[in-house]
Amino acid sequence: MDNLIELRGVTKVYQVGAEEVHALNGIDLDLTSNEYLAIMGPSGSGKSTLMNLIGCLDTPTSGSYRFKDQEVKDLSDDELARIRNKEIGFVFQTFNLLPRADASHNVELPLIYAGVSRAERRTKVDAALKAVGLEDRTRHRPSELSGGQRQRAAIARALVNEPSVILADEPTGNLDSKTGEEIMQAMEKIHRAGNAIVLVTHEEYIAKHARRIIRLRDGLIEADELV
Amino acid sequence: MQLSENFRIAVSTLGVHKVRSLLTVLGTVIGVMSVVTIVSIIEGMNEYVSERLVAEGSNTFYVDKFGMITDYEEYLEALKREDFTPEDARAVERLSPSVLAAGAVSETQKTVRYRAKSVSGVNVQGVDEKYRFVESGEAVGVESGREISREDVLRRKAICVIGQDVKDKLFTGVDPIGKEIRAGRHRFRIVGVGERKGSLLGMSQDSYVTVPISAFRKAYGTRNPVYLVVKARDQASYDLAQDETRAVLRARRKVPFSEPDDFSIMGAETFMELYRSFTSTAYLVTVGIAAISLIVGGIVIMNIMLVSVTERTREIGIRKAIGARRGEIMVQFLIESLILSGTGGLIGVLLGVAIALFVSGVSPLPAAIRAWAILMGLAVACGVGTFFGIYPAARAAKLDPIVALRYE
Ligand SMILES: Nc1ncnc2c1ncn2[C@@H]1O[C@H](COP(=O)(O)OP(=O)(O)OP(=O)(O)O)[C@@H](O)[C@H]1O
Ligand SMILES: [Mg+2]
Repeated sequence: MDNLIELRGVTKVYQVGAEEVHALNGIDLDLTSNEYLAIMGPSGSGKSTLMNLIGCLDTPTSGSYRFKDQEVKDLSDDELARIRNKEIGFVFQTFNLLPRADASHNVELPLIYAGVSRAERRTKVDAALKAVGLEDRTRHRPSELSGGQRQRAAIARALVNEPSVILADEPTGNLDSKTGEEIMQAMEKIHRAGNAIVLVTHEEYIAKHARRIIRLRDGLIEADELV
Repeated sequence: MQLSENFRIAVSTLGVHKVRSLLTVLGTVIGVMSVVTIVSIIEGMNEYVSERLVAEGSNTFYVDKFGMITDYEEYLEALKREDFTPEDARAVERLSPSVLAAGAVSETQKTVRYRAKSVSGVNVQGVDEKYRFVESGEAVGVESGREISREDVLRRKAICVIGQDVKDKLFTGVDPIGKEIRAGRHRFRIVGVGERKGSLLGMSQDSYVTVPISAFRKAYGTRNPVYLVVKARDQASYDLAQDETRAVLRARRKVPFSEPDDFSIMGAETFMELYRSFTSTAYLVTVGIAAISLIVGGIVIMNIMLVSVTERTREIGIRKAIGARRGEIMVQFLIESLILSGTGGLIGVLLGVAIALFVSGVSPLPAAIRAWAILMGLAVACGVGTFFGIYPAARAAKLDPIVALRYE
């Protein structure tokens, strides 16, 4: 099976004033197109940094990152935007919904940037909101939704363009354990439907939902195990 | 991404900050408003003046001994020149084949009294028997009584023809014919009442008393200059009529061959030129005001858009994370400033039209609303918005998605 994602010797160095912060120190990682991977590790170990690289929001300082056999370094800004739009669905700890747009418009946004027609957008938005159980909250703005509902709207947004992989950085971090569990059920459903998922979490019981867990420490993969 | 989406986003975000948006476009509003107002009024005046000049027959021109005096020396020099007389007018008529008629006139402002009533600022004109014909054409005659005749002029009779305003103000329910009025300290017996002429640019044309020019000069002295008013046979012979008049007058005044004219000829085109130079100055001033307020307005728009970009850093980060390209972010913010300034332009146009109509309603100034002025106002406003929107929009487009997402 071809790798969806392939990292080789990836490092990330942040320059803070005169000081260099080595967030990633040489990561090798492969991910196939139907995997469910959890990334764990102590705070500051480089989990979010790694996710941003995988999500094409950022580029490595050195090493190679190939997404669907394309070297990300060689891609232009607009090509990266295209990958984020079509191939990747982000779910953030802080939801990152547009506060002034209602749930359905938030979910619609990736489709708008993908240039999907209005009619098609409508059916896709409805389907995605239904998939996360928000079909009766479509006109609510984020401030009119509970935390769990907000995260489900964000998941619907990540799903709506049928990406190759969903990247979720601590999706349950701002939720209580019961709501967190609901979110994980939704993720499970998505994975069953054939999506690859990469999940960052601090909680073992959340990580247990994944099929594979890697543990980071000081910007290095310390362990890589199947559940 | 479709433009309609951008418009929707822009309208909804601007709607959130209504007051701020309104204050932002104030400069644009004022700029566009002043252009539309002033252009409308100037265009209205142009229309009116050129209509009038055509109606009054641009076949008429004036001759006087001063011309365009630019300094006091010149004035003193001109003062020494010989005055024109009704006989000059007769000679021009007789000797210039292209001239239909010529009249002589001298005028001053006086308070006119009849018994206890008075009107001030009346135009008292000393005229010869041809002046009224040349000046107003055959269309305007006397309503009652008679015109001033050649005999009146020759015999220096203290009689007069009064205008409708003077009649209205001094004689209510009384027939003015045969009554004696005082213009300044001199008495004249009314022999005729002129027909109503109406007003020109808000100034009544009917506030006058005409007396024989000979009587006028006897009563008020010879310091008031005498003009000749000359009417060419038709438009085609207008230039020729001026040349002939010049030749006749040079001969009568014995101007040596090598000397310049000791008088000057001013046609309708001279007034038109004067008027145009006035309006082009007014246009220039307007353009100046508009340019300044539009630039200031543009800078304000740029400032507010920069604030808006900063405030919405996180939104920009989210949009980029889910796949917005640089160009799309750029267009989104450009459209926002375009709508902002376009709305300002629209408000400016509406206010400008309203003010122009109001001014023409309460004052004699006419107004002509021009489509080109409105379109130009809108286009310039939109141009300003786009131009000053470029920098903030580029700032937004260039934001690094992770930095933007982390922005608190
Ligand atoms: N933009 C940045 N500039 C400078 N240093 C950074 C930046 N982002 C991350 N770092 C540093 O890189 C290291 C890894 O950060 P990262 O956010 O990836 O950690 P994390 O594993 O996600 O931690 P947490 O579990 O607390 O979210 C940290 O030491 C952090 O201080
Ligand atoms: Mg993190």
